[in-house]
Amino acid sequence: MIGKILETLYTKVFINIIVGESKSIVFVEVVSKGEVIKSESESFKTNTLSSQMYSYLKTAIAKSPYHYVSILDNSTKQGAIPTCRDIKSYIDAKGLNTICVDKNWTFYTSQEDIKDLKYEYQNIGLDLIFSPFSILARFFKDKIELNLSIFALIEEKNISLSVFNQGKLLYAEYLHIKTQNQDEILMMDSILDDDDEDDMELDLDDIDLDDMDADDDITSLDDFADIEDLSSDIDIEEFSEAQDIVRTKEEKEVDIEDINDDYNKFIMIQDSINRFYHDEKYNSEFLESIYIADSIGLSTDLKKYLEEEMFLNVVVRKIALEEELSSIAKAEIL
Amino acid sequence: MRYSYIKPAPKTALSKDMQLLFTFFSVTLFMLFLTYGFLLFRDYRFEQNRAELIQEEQDFRVSIEEMKSKIAKIEEQNILSERVFTKNIVLKDSIHNLFDLVPARITLSKAEIMQNGLVLYGITPNKDIYNFMLQAPLRSIFHRTYSSFYPLKNGWFSFVSTNYIDEESNDEY
Repeated sequence: MIGKILETLYTKVFINIIVGESKSIVFVEVVSKGEVIKSESESFKTNTLSSQMYSYLKTAIAKSPYHYVSILDNSTKQGAIPTCRDIKSYIDAKGLNTICVDKNWTFYTSQEDIKDLKYEYQNIGLDLIFSPFSILARFFKDKIELNLSIFALIEEKNISLSVFNQGKLLYAEYLHIKTQNQDEILMMDSILDDDDEDDMELDLDDIDLDDMDADDDITSLDDFADIEDLSSDIDIEEFSEAQDIVRTKEEKEVDIEDINDDYNKFIMIQDSINRFYHDEKYNSEFLESIYIADSIGLSTDLKKYLEEEMFLNVVVRKIALEEELSSIAKAEIL
Repeated sequence: MRYSYIKPAPKTALSKDMQLLFTFFSVTLFMLFLTYGFLLFRDYRFEQNRAELIQEEQDFRVSIEEMKSKIAKIEEQNILSERVFTKNIVLKDSIHNLFDLVPARITLSKAEIMQNGLVLYGITPNKDIYNFMLQAPLRSIFHRTYSSFYPLKNGWFSFVSTNYIDEESNDEY
């Protein structure tokens, strides 16, 4: 009784943590009587709980006794399945935390990872741990109800992919984007250090996806090699003259990484969709469109790959993951 | 709709120190109220006892009054009985004296002793014996003495002697 009265007197602080591969974002919202009165965001160049992040979180927590720390689960063992009852036919539920949504579909994660996460943040105290699938479902709520489509939440190093048909989940997979092989990076560096580095730059810049054969079964990076083969010296020269761009070595590295990353993402999405088509467990149907929740600022390359290689209608919608996390946390608490 | 894998920890505005402080004050207040309640109860019981004692006192007073009146009545009765006893003794002495007064030659047939008087009936051989031997002592005792004689066949006289003591004179006694 007294607790309820006190709760109405105090403001609520929602602290939302998004842990990425290279940085972590802490988004703090101060809510009074259901309205956001203040919000701030801070980025930390770490994927663990650093001392700076810890002190920032402590300061945020000290703002109100009614604080709720939410985090987005990035366990690699998470996913979602299109049932609430017959879970065993899809996954081994032992050691998993499952949550049923609308008596229709279930998202799950590893209990061990939840335990590890809670252990890591034990000095702060985690209150809510959300699945990216729940964020995705909330974010595309208007589209999920309509027709058969792929829905993907793209984070820095993870893709939460799901297929919904009129609000019913057909397939879902949580994909961890593999980091570039160290050897590959070294190889790239050595090539970039060569005298004919311009050639390399242009080779990569001049990938012409229009010329790619969409009917090919692209399942690996071999296809990427094919794309590289498409370029020619003439093309390179023309492109170079037309663009007249002077690039530094760092910019080149970033570009290469972007292209590789986007292509990686494309390949992973394509592989996942292929698994959906071929796995008998799933009631597969032909997919025509994909809705992408972009939390990292994708280049147009991925969209281009998806459109041209898989003939998908691609809709990219920007998502502020930390704000969505806060929104779902507020919905959970208020 | 629950989306989180874990439930949020219960939140409270009260820190542990505050909780301790509140607990301390709560216990203190509880004890104070308990003492207050106890005192109220004791006060109530005291008032109740007091009222009972007052009632008891009144009852005693009433019974004392009753006893006093009874004592007074008994005393009165005692006085009365003593008076009656005294009167009886006086009467007995008077009768005894009366009979002592009557000479051997006069015979009393009836005596009526009244409050202020004495009526004697009897026979005497003659009037003189009566006048000298009985009437003379009676006159010394009573204020007024009246004698009536009726001659009998044997020559004796039947007499009626009525003697009175006056009220005022009686009071003096």
